[in-house]
Amino acid sequence: MKKDLRWKSILVLAIIILAVYLSYPPSEKIHLGLDLEGGMHLVLEVITEDALSIETGLEILRLEEQLKKKKLEYATVSKDGISQFSIQEINLDQENAIKDLLDEFFKDWDYSITGNTVSVSLKPGAANYLKDLSVRQAKETIQNRVDELGLAEPTIQRQGTGNRIIVELPGVENPDRIKNIIKTTALLEWRLVLGGPAPDTETLLQDLGGEVPSDAEIKRGDLERTQGGYYLVSKVAPVTGKDLINARRSTNEWNNPAVLFTLNAEAGRRFYQFTSDNLNKPLSIILDGKIQEVANINDRISDRGIISGTFSIEEADDLALILRAGPLPASVRYLEERSIGPSLGKDSIRKGLAANILAIILIMIFMIFYYKLSGFNAVAALALNILILMGILSYLGENAVLTLPGIAGIILTIGMAVDANVLVFERIREELASGKSTRSAISAGFSRAFKTILDANVTTIIAAIFLFQFGTGPIRGFAVTLIIGITASMFTAIFVSRLIFDLTQSRKKKREKLSI
Amino acid sequence: MRIFKQPNFQFMKYKIFAFILSGIVITAGIVNMTKGKGLTGGIDFTGGTLIQIRFKDPYPITELRETLRVIEPKIQEVEEGEREYLIRAMSPKGETEQDQEAHEIMGKRIVDILTAEEDRIAIENGLADLSNIDTDELTSILQTSFPESTQDIAKSIIELRESKELKGIIESYDQLPVAGIDQEVTDFLKEKTFLGSLAVKRRESVGPQVGDELKRRATQATVWALIGMLFYIGLRFKFAYGIAAVLTLTHDVLFTLSIFSFTNREVNLPVVAAILTIVGYSLNDTIVIFDRVRDNIKRMRNQEFEEILDQSINQTLSRTAITSGTTFLVVFSLFLLGGEVINDFAFTVIIGVIIGTYSSIYQSCPHLFFWNKIFKPKKGMGK
Repeated sequence: MKKDLRWKSILVLAIIILAVYLSYPPSEKIHLGLDLEGGMHLVLEVITEDALSIETGLEILRLEEQLKKKKLEYATVSKDGISQFSIQEINLDQENAIKDLLDEFFKDWDYSITGNTVSVSLKPGAANYLKDLSVRQAKETIQNRVDELGLAEPTIQRQGTGNRIIVELPGVENPDRIKNIIKTTALLEWRLVLGGPAPDTETLLQDLGGEVPSDAEIKRGDLERTQGGYYLVSKVAPVTGKDLINARRSTNEWNNPAVLFTLNAEAGRRFYQFTSDNLNKPLSIILDGKIQEVANINDRISDRGIISGTFSIEEADDLALILRAGPLPASVRYLEERSIGPSLGKDSIRKGLAANILAIILIMIFMIFYYKLSGFNAVAALALNILILMGILSYLGENAVLTLPGIAGIILTIGMAVDANVLVFERIREELASGKSTRSAISAGFSRAFKTILDANVTTIIAAIFLFQFGTGPIRGFAVTLIIGITASMFTAIFVSRLIFDLTQSRKKKREKLSI
Repeated sequence: MRIFKQPNFQFMKYKIFAFILSGIVITAGIVNMTKGKGLTGGIDFTGGTLIQIRFKDPYPITELRETLRVIEPKIQEVEEGEREYLIRAMSPKGETEQDQEAHEIMGKRIVDILTAEEDRIAIENGLADLSNIDTDELTSILQTSFPESTQDIAKSIIELRESKELKGIIESYDQLPVAGIDQEVTDFLKEKTFLGSLAVKRRESVGPQVGDELKRRATQATVWALIGMLFYIGLRFKFAYGIAAVLTLTHDVLFTLSIFSFTNREVNLPVVAAILTIVGYSLNDTIVIFDRVRDNIKRMRNQEFEEILDQSINQTLSRTAITSGTTFLVVFSLFLLGGEVINDFAFTVIIGVIIGTYSSIYQSCPHLFFWNKIFKPKKGMGK
């Protein structure tokens, strides 16, 4: 055996061993896409305007507090837009004091004074910061909720720097439940009930002369949890979901599922004071603007309490989970959903494998039938090609998941990998026909076909690269297997196949005919 | 063994016929796309909902159409036996806040409409749906009565439901003991659960915003791939070859889309990937022939250009036949066995392999010929 043949054989052997080592056992080493494994892919958008609007609301409250504290006169502060508000009818003698106040405490806001109205709007930089913050917070909250669910290998990513969050959850069995858990804003508030319940708003306001008092607002009971009546509740919430340190499923006094919560120490003190001041008055628990429960304050409550309502076991579990994970800073909406059940994924794997095996068998039969012994050459190259493809897929792991279109890509690779062999074999036949000896025909065949193989494969890879670049999800899976497969096929069809020819020829007598 | 022994077909003689054939198909296709039925975009591009549902009991497709009439969905039976269907519904296209989420609501609505009345009553009575329950929930139901290895019992029940045999829905409680679940557990489940009338096996919903974006990205991928390949040929061959290749590829894309416009298949993301694959494949074929032409021009200086083209096609004919044949074989296996998810893709590639083979002989070479005739009537292509 020639020296370079020995080195080449060792190299190929090493590659085989490495590929087997990397990809065995394939069921553990190759990462499957959601379409094969079953699971859920969600693209959701954080409505960042919500976060701005909430922030504006809070700032108005803060401003009013400051204005009163500093004894500055004004009629009202009204919200004019998502991030705009105005102070009406100020006392022009106090103009400078108001300016000083805004300069000192409201640095993120621009203001202008026309007549006796001060228009205040959020600075663009601050608005962008808040939007960005709300997306980051939303991502974190969703991450917490998903972690609480205890699902295997979840991925939660922000798409670039935009408002979108991509959630990928393999093995999800009940997509609707997860979607609800993720989407609930979970803004929990305890507020004093000032009136109600009433069947409609007019009845509710009858005693008040049809006007909603300035420190109150109307809320409706959640249709799934209460009778759905209208209540008048205080605007201020002494305690909110942010003050929770723990929540878990428990049972109420009638042994129905309920949620037990624990407040942090500071909020506990506040709540104790509040319940002491309002003993025997009704208190409402409001989740995302809907009243869940109204109950009388029978006792002073400090740091522990119960949310009753009519929950099923699972609903109580989910609410406790959401409360533990904290509220979303803004509401979210689903832009895209792809959920695949586990049975369908398994089905796709079976079908994909079946198609693959049939394709390989057909090609092997054809190549051996058409090119005789040299056909085995091609078959060996093809087998190694698939092995290398598996090895690289396993090595890349999460960066190259196998999807159903990916399996299609492998099948297509098999079809196209044969082409490189065919190009070489046809050239060798031509060279033999022109009267060359076996060895020089092989040599000329390979070297003349090389250029063609390169050009042909590079163009396919170019197409695949753009598919990868602009494609999404499953399509990327297709591009990945195609790129890896075609690259591997150039190696196997040119290098490995040549090596097998050289090895077999080196053992034969010079005049023996090539079986092709 | 050989397919062709010393082939010597005069391909170029019939180039006009080929142009006429392609011209007719593409013109008919373009007319159909612009004035007629047109291409049907899948939910990936239009936005909408796709749901794959399996019913516990056979549900005839005509009845299903009737029940869902208000939504005007497209319904396709997945498997013989009137049990499993793919239901597609487009969502209204619009800019309002509600339209952005219509795709999601539509999915819920379809399931709602199809859910049997018994199921609703059972849920109101506090029973859980064993066809749609997840392992967690099942575990918590079993917990009180079977505190030992609860999770394993729950897991094996769910695994049974998702197995090859049951395909996602439990048809009767008798199936549980047969598969090795304790009779005791089965009896307990009979009291606490019910067998829902349907199971949702797949749900994809795409909002209009994402649909537009996917469309844009698919177009970008196609255009950039074409430019990239053009650039590569320009680098490796002469300008005329690049033009001929691009005309051929454009022909392939138009031809495939034309055929598509006469079928009921939808253009979705996998189909776009398939079209790009065809483009790569067809170019592959074209390059092999051009490569020969380039070689032969040097060797056959005194021959007519048409003669050189014919020679080159004949010399590579075996290879063309074998590669097209093997590629066709593999894609055909995919078409037969790959399942409905990949079926549109496989169909597109099958058409593409045929068109690509035809076009590399009957489009790329004639284009090269006419280019030569118009721009270099005396000198020939060699220089």
